[in-house]
Amino acid sequence: MEQDLVQTDKIRKGDSILQWSQWQLLDSILPTGGFAHSFGLEAAIQARIVSGPDNLKNFIIHLLENTGSLLLPFVYSTTTNPTLENWQKLDTILDAILTNEVGRKASVSQGSSLMRVAASVFTEVPSLKSMRDVSIGSGVVSFHHAPVFGLISGLLGMDSGTSQRAYMFMTMRDVISAATRLNLVGPLGAAVLQHQIAPVAEAMSKKWMDRPVEDACQTVPLFDTIQGCHGYLFSRLFCS
Amino acid sequence: MLFTGSGKRKERVGREIEMEKGKVVVEKVRRKSTVTRSFSKYPLKFIIPRKAGPSKTDAVWIYSLTYGGGIVSGDSISVEFTIGDGCTAVLTTQASTKVYKSLGSKCSEQVLEARIGSGALFAVIPDPVTCFATARYSQKQVFRLVSDSSLVVVDWCTSGRHESGEKWDFELYRSTNNIFAEDNQPVFLDTVLLEQSSPASIAERMHDYQVIAMVIIYGPKLKIVQDQVQENVKRMMSQQLHIPSTSLGHHAKTSSHNCLTRPAFIASCSVFGPKGIGVVVRIASTTTESVYRFLQHQLAGMEPLLGVSPYC
Repeated sequence: MEQDLVQTDKIRKGDSILQWSQWQLLDSILPTGGFAHSFGLEAAIQARIVSGPDNLKNFIIHLLENTGSLLLPFVYSTTTNPTLENWQKLDTILDAILTNEVGRKASVSQGSSLMRVAASVFTEVPSLKSMRDVSIGSGVVSFHHAPVFGLISGLLGMDSGTSQRAYMFMTMRDVISAATRLNLVGPLGAAVLQHQIAPVAEAMSKKWMDRPVEDACQTVPLFDTIQGCHGYLFSRLFCS
Repeated sequence: MLFTGSGKRKERVGREIEMEKGKVVVEKVRRKSTVTRSFSKYPLKFIIPRKAGPSKTDAVWIYSLTYGGGIVSGDSISVEFTIGDGCTAVLTTQASTKVYKSLGSKCSEQVLEARIGSGALFAVIPDPVTCFATARYSQKQVFRLVSDSSLVVVDWCTSGRHESGEKWDFELYRSTNNIFAEDNQPVFLDTVLLEQSSPASIAERMHDYQVIAMVIIYGPKLKIVQDQVQENVKRMMSQQLHIPSTSLGHHAKTSSHNCLTRPAFIASCSVFGPKGIGVVVRIASTTTESVYRFLQHQLAGMEPLLGVSPYC
């Protein structure tokens, strides 16, 4: 009995330390290069799909829907089963799913940075570094962002509901941050917008949560067409 | 008893739905691509004209059609294609595939599974799918290739009978295109799902575009076509995309003004697969005709392979 209590206490202590790591994983100052990407927003502006705060809101809602249907299954699976084997398998599948080159490269560059940062920061989870080391030379892993994020979340003890919600949160945060730099909204307007969209983001997280990767699909196919145009832009601020 | 939109076919109920299997095998017979087996089950029918192009090109053309001119609620059509080593086959239609109104929550489905042999070319170049209001339709195409197979897939869907005001009014459209290389290695996995139940309606997500299309061009026989399409699309789009003078200032004009200047046709190309062996073009357009014109121009380079230029 007492043994059990000691054990629970230890886990709790471990949990509270892990919480600091979990928060750091979601912190926008974690240097993963998210600031270099606009999730197709810059191309959408130049295609006059987005021209002001009103259709910016719609753009973000549609982007979140597409993120939920396409990427949450990968976050879910790797969070609940954060093993080298499962992660590598899902990385290969996602590489075949992201057929839009701009989006695929953005996913790879953000995922690789996140894995590199995590391996050197979260030293309490040594398997992160070892998984990265084995994969880096193998050539079979592309380091796509969603499975890397799920893997780290899982290893940091985050539950899968939180990690999927967090993935939607980060997507929203990063696209809104891109919108401020593209001069579509000011910093205060951006904060108000983020708060307004939160209930919609929650509804979409719930809708697409806990699905198998076989269900991954695009629900806003227009975005792939538009984001694919990013390389054709004569002048641009962002990588994607 | 319930009768469907076409008035001819009896509605199939619940579990009684059976897979209507079709099968086509193309093999070399006296060094010419030849249909050696062709079998289809109602409501599907294949028409294989003896002569589709000049006799010196080695290609068979297969027309797929459905009785009643479309797909009825609850129809479940499944076809298997085998394109033997070195053969060329074209699968096409004579008009758009109409998916009629759904009865209840029933979904119609079409499944195509194809094996494409070494040095073979399979071109799936149909007219678009048009889903009527309330229709529910799901389509799945799986292509199994070896390292030197070639493949062209055009997969497209319109907003419905948009001339009569039906714009993205169907209930559900799902289209899956998967390509696997040897050892079941996934090369291209794509599923588009348009469902009315999301927070935003399908029409909102489409921003006034009435057609979405995807063109997959894969394999060694199509290198020239790939290069041309990439170059053409890049040139076309570079002219269309620019920083709008209104968006970067704080004096944005009304959104209706910006709608007018939005490109009526958007396309982008991406390379995929090992060593960039595939190219996928994604298109959004306000008219079906402009997509036909685009396909005509961009796939014209296939004429020497198919005998006739696609979509002419």
